[in-house]
Amino acid sequence: MELSRREFTKFGCKIIIGAAAGTTLIESIATIDAQEATSSKNYDWTKHYWGYIVDTSKCIGCGRCANACKLENHVPFDEPVYRTWVERYRITNEGREEKVTIDSPNGGIDGFTDDIPADEVKKAFYVPKICNHCENPPCVQVCPVGATYETEDGVVLVDYNYCIGCRYCIQGCPYGARYFNTEKGTADKCTWCYHRITKGLLPACVQACPVGARKFGDLKDPESEINKILDKERINVLKPDLGTKPKVYYVGLDREVR
Amino acid sequence: MQPHLKRAFIILILVIIGFLFVRSFIVPGSFGQYGWYRGDSVAELRELPVGYAGSASCSDVNCHNSVYTIWVNSSHKTVNCETCHGPSQNHVTDTRTMPTPANDTREFCGMCHFKRTARPADFPQIDPDTHGENLQCTYCHNPHKPWFL
Repeated sequence: MELSRREFTKFGCKIIIGAAAGTTLIESIATIDAQEATSSKNYDWTKHYWGYIVDTSKCIGCGRCANACKLENHVPFDEPVYRTWVERYRITNEGREEKVTIDSPNGGIDGFTDDIPADEVKKAFYVPKICNHCENPPCVQVCPVGATYETEDGVVLVDYNYCIGCRYCIQGCPYGARYFNTEKGTADKCTWCYHRITKGLLPACVQACPVGARKFGDLKDPESEINKILDKERINVLKPDLGTKPKVYYVGLDREVR
Repeated sequence: MQPHLKRAFIILILVIIGFLFVRSFIVPGSFGQYGWYRGDSVAELRELPVGYAGSASCSDVNCHNSVYTIWVNSSHKTVNCETCHGPSQNHVTDTRTMPTPANDTREFCGMCHFKRTARPADFPQIDPDTHGENLQCTYCHNPHKPWFL
């Protein structure tokens, strides 16, 4: 076949334009597929605003919450890092002064043993701790790269692919709720089991609690259990004077708890 | 315009173009989709695998319905299946993968029921030194339907 220069150029241009159009089309189809795959979960984050309630008067210090959290979220068991943990407060009389002993051996995962005789203890209770998912999160403010953020539904998350591991957020959190994950090389924290709550499940710690000391629910839903507790009970948050506006509310919080 | 100003201006424009060019490669496409963070990471975190399936998934008629019915009416009904039996989503998805057997040692029951000063006084607790002669708790008590309370 004989081709003139003009015909050859025309033909070549057609092929190039056709190939470009084809790739764009395939790419756009692929993008639509990906969008459908994410939207198939039917989770709309504008319809929810999550909240958490801890009833310290119910907690028995079994540590099943901290254990379930480590299993669900693959937090290293051999390191002293916890997304949620249980603290024990024991108040004893020392002369005329009150002495407060606070401990949390292995985050409470192995349970607690009485190392102060029961008759010396004036008052004792357990306090489960967890990330407060603040409305004004100091950890998000200090992140230099935008790797941690508050979602539309009120959960503070870490982008593990974007975090540079500078640990500013770990220092910035006034509640000590963040830790450094040596396996990922990034900062890490409680996500309220974001992969569970967006699928209609409860966070692992709430599900594991045998006495219902931990409650999780939607603050936007007026009929939710946690809204009813918030309306009825006397509640407090940790370190309210910092203005972080925590969304973990405590029922029966003692003045010694900080 | 004077030539030296013109040159400086052209260099400035080139620097800006270069910056935008490099930036388009470095910054992920979804950054800024919802806020000052990578929008794709939200979907990534939602898609993490689930470990705890929830007690309702045990209740199927073809599965553990009989023990579920006993448990759901017992005083242990606030203790979910996986609190003792461990995370079992893999078993729910594929019944041939078995979860680790439930821990039925005295110490495991004691995590909730051994006498401790910090526990609420109305919670059922036993003194491990005087109660049960170091026998396994399940020797007398059925964990799915405990005798007391």
